[in-house]
Amino acid sequence: MNKAEVKTRVTPPGLVPGVVSIALMLLVWTVASQMTDRPQTLPAPWQVAARIYALAASGELWFHAGMTLYRVACSFALAMVVGTALGLWMGRSRSADQWLNPALIIMLNVPALVVIVLSYIWIGLNETAAIIAVALNKIPVVTVMIREGTRALRPDLDEMAAAFRMSRMDRLRHVVLPQLAPQIAASARAGISLIWKIVLVVEFLGRSNGVGFKLHMLFSSFDVAGVLAWALAFVAVMLAIDLLILRPWEARANRWRSDAA
Amino acid sequence: MQLDLIGKSYGPNQVLGPIRLSLTRGQRLAILGPSGMGKSTLLRIVAGLDPQFSGSITGDDRLALIFQEPTLLPWRNATQNITIPTGCSVAQAHEWMARVGLPAHHNHFPRQMSLGQQRRLALARAFAAQPDILLMDEPFASLDGETAARMIALTSELLSGTGAGLLLVTHDPNEARALEARPLRLGGNPAQIQG
Repeated sequence: MNKAEVKTRVTPPGLVPGVVSIALMLLVWTVASQMTDRPQTLPAPWQVAARIYALAASGELWFHAGMTLYRVACSFALAMVVGTALGLWMGRSRSADQWLNPALIIMLNVPALVVIVLSYIWIGLNETAAIIAVALNKIPVVTVMIREGTRALRPDLDEMAAAFRMSRMDRLRHVVLPQLAPQIAASARAGISLIWKIVLVVEFLGRSNGVGFKLHMLFSSFDVAGVLAWALAFVAVMLAIDLLILRPWEARANRWRSDAA
Repeated sequence: MQLDLIGKSYGPNQVLGPIRLSLTRGQRLAILGPSGMGKSTLLRIVAGLDPQFSGSITGDDRLALIFQEPTLLPWRNATQNITIPTGCSVAQAHEWMARVGLPAHHNHFPRQMSLGQQRRLALARAFAAQPDILLMDEPFASLDGETAARMIALTSELLSGTGAGLLLVTHDPNEARALEARPLRLGGNPAQIQG
């Protein structure tokens, strides 16, 4: 083991700049909040922290963050399953790609807000509409990433599977999906950050609970400390999910590639 | 297995045929010829990997194919590389690994094995499929002389032990001789069996 390896084990690369950068942002925020003469426009960091503490202690934070997380999880699962299936199909079949590609390009360019408004009008102001609206915004992105990965699948392994008459399920499980794991993991990580932002918009426009709904209430009363408290608390939740679940999973999915090199 | 190939074309160019071949258990045939002659195409047709040809293949023999490269699943270990494609049991996979000289490699991933060991694993996989006829496409081409000789001896021993037939595609007549396979030379345009 060489020196560089020992060093990376003690402090993960980028940790020190990351901590310093966050500390600097807090410093700028503190200075700015002290310079303004209207504390309700930009409250100090400790005022926001006290608000987060109060929300957590009352249980309100967990209920609404839980509702938002539930919507994030449902739309994420729906978008990943449908997007992966479409991407596989379009990557494998030239004619499917030619027929579906125009719709895909249109869907990639329709603003999220339009999809949300139309879903609420056509399906109704309910949970199904909310989850479908979010998933519809994400599916095209997943589809594109999986399609590119599918085009790069190894033809020799495909032939091996065909020569040994492997079943479709076995081929998908043991030959195709392991090759797509890096694309699936990357689109999952990119997707979760996009999805939670859209979920807040969906809640803002048409739900009666969740972080987005709370932001709507606080917006009506121009309560900046409340808006910042909810936003920062939920950012922390999503960062924890990214660091503790998605990153380790992505590293695992990519392991055989780096080892094989 | 009976192949009655009328012709195989790429666009307007007929590259193969007419070719008639028949092969049963215990028989060994080698298709010889320079590269680019269509030997691999012929083998792919026999293996059922290329349905775009005119003619017919009859017979219900079980076939197993050994490719130019080992074509193992890098994300599955050696045992799974046999059980998943062939559907055989773990015990059978281990038995075949022992017979090809890999008794201690059950949990190794392909990347942890040398090319020679990967070749032997591919051989074990093919025999675990219990083929009536083994199809081999230039299987010794990228091996050094000594490793190739050992692989040929091992292949011959397993063929005799199981009674499987062999259809070998190679550019090297010595390989055909070493495997005691009857040589058939492919040549001409479109390529046919000569003589």
